[in-house]
Amino acid sequence: MIRTVNLCKRFGELTVFKDVNIHVQKGECVAVIGPSGTGKSVLFRTLAMLEKPDYGNVLVNGRDITLKDVNINKVRERFGMVYQGFHLFSHLNVLENITLAPLKVKKLGKTEAKNRAKELLSLVGLSDKHSSFPHQLSGGQQQRVAIARSLAMDPDIILFDEPTSALDPSMTGEVLAIIRKLAKSGLTMMISTHEMRFAQDVADRVFFMDEGGVYEEGTADQIFNNPKRERTRMFIRKLKVFSYSIISRGFDMVSMNVQIEMFCQKYNVEFKKINYIQLVLEELIIEVIGSLQKDEQPQIDFSIEFSEERDEIEITFTYRGKEFNPFVINDDEEHLGVILVTGISKSTNYKYVDGFNTININI
Amino acid sequence: MYLYILRGGGFSFGKNLIENNGWLVILKGLEVTLVISFTALLLGTIIGALFCSMHNSRIRILNITAKIVIAFLRGSPVLLLLMIFYYVVFANSRIDAIYIAVIAFSLNSGAHIAEIMRSALSAVDKKQLEAARMLGFSKIGAFMAITLPQAARIAKPVYQSATINLIQWTSVVGYVTITDLTRTVNNIGARTGDPFFALFFGILIYLAISYLVNFLFSFQGKRKLTT
Repeated sequence: MIRTVNLCKRFGELTVFKDVNIHVQKGECVAVIGPSGTGKSVLFRTLAMLEKPDYGNVLVNGRDITLKDVNINKVRERFGMVYQGFHLFSHLNVLENITLAPLKVKKLGKTEAKNRAKELLSLVGLSDKHSSFPHQLSGGQQQRVAIARSLAMDPDIILFDEPTSALDPSMTGEVLAIIRKLAKSGLTMMISTHEMRFAQDVADRVFFMDEGGVYEEGTADQIFNNPKRERTRMFIRKLKVFSYSIISRGFDMVSMNVQIEMFCQKYNVEFKKINYIQLVLEELIIEVIGSLQKDEQPQIDFSIEFSEERDEIEITFTYRGKEFNPFVINDDEEHLGVILVTGISKSTNYKYVDGFNTININI
Repeated sequence: MYLYILRGGGFSFGKNLIENNGWLVILKGLEVTLVISFTALLLGTIIGALFCSMHNSRIRILNITAKIVIAFLRGSPVLLLLMIFYYVVFANSRIDAIYIAVIAFSLNSGAHIAEIMRSALSAVDKKQLEAARMLGFSKIGAFMAITLPQAARIAKPVYQSATINLIQWTSVVGYVTITDLTRTVNNIGARTGDPFFALFFGILIYLAISYLVNFLFSFQGKRKLTT
């Protein structure tokens, strides 16, 4: 139905995305997710030729619409777009908003257009609002009218550009319910959204956008339950990450602790847990530095991942050197610290690969 | 003043308006004022649309020309413009003074209307235009169906007061020998030696025109809302 070949869009120096190759089948519902500013909206706008791509092609039903001799108005009749900000025609009432394009672009008869509009209004549950003006409606109602407006042209595909981002939570549901209904009816659609649960629910496939393109794509199940790539995982699990490197024996532990504390406080980590994190890290660092030769400098990297969704903290602690597992305790030495660490942690895990020791700890 | 009106009102009325067919002269003057005003308004609107589209054009030359011309016309008193046209530009031609006045007022109001249009156009939500394009409207089609009606609604009150302003400013055409409403009431007042009544009567007529204009504009607005 719609396919892109090496699509690239730049704004001056900034490359929004490049080499985007996507394919949306007829009847499919594709969710586009990703952090803000990764080009979801721009991708939609480029698909509809509202933005000219710098290179690459957009093929609609096998026809390249980036070519000069294509009548883009005809192509757009088959495209629907629903915006974050609704953008209803403010000088027209609800019914006129819906019938305007069918009357003037499709040249439908007046009664035909009106009847179809009324049908669509009952579909979106606003039959009694046909003579209201946009400013008299709530955000959710406006968005539903906007959906009806784009449906009135019987489009082959509708692009929903963050349809609920401008709505407060009490109105999000009514709009999502309509979109869900449309998806079930087999309408081809692409939705960019921040409503993860909705995307997981309604989408056949999911594109995760990041780092200037489609970073990972897969079925909803793959992306949400089993993401393959690092950034997808971080985004889906709502991970917040703090990383730190130590490259000398004389590193500033006080400053490190302050930074950890600030990071944790930003995400409302419990005070007790912050203490545990600091304690665990301090003990590990002391153990690792203690295991070094006298003139050797440490090379330690660690990251603290905080998953808002699961309220879980995972510490990944990597250090270079010969294999050294601090959890294997030699009987003649006292390693109170290590005992402490194992006591606090939910689970610990040790690995040695290519000269790097890695410890994973869950708190 | 009350005494004056009570005692002399009826007398003044007769002296100014009835004797020598004063009312006919005033009607003639009124006609001239209205012809100049509404022709200038019509041409001014066309010129304004032209200036406005030039100003919004992406072609640099047009854009800069429009900016300079608009700034010049808006910044100069219309009376001086009128006098320059009458005494300098068209001094040797046999064009009727009324046409010269129409040209001067058209240009002046055109510059003002261009700015009114431009600010109204820029106040319209551009995303609605885009939404229309997404429904398959052509560029012009979307402009006519979405931007223009909304801009017209925004511009209406300012355009209305510009119209009334224009009508009142035409009262200076007497300077270039045109006998308009102001000139006639002035003449009558001078002749009868009773300028107060004549001039005040003139004001009342201008007031009536303003009311009529306001009425016409409100009528249009109401009709639009009911559709």
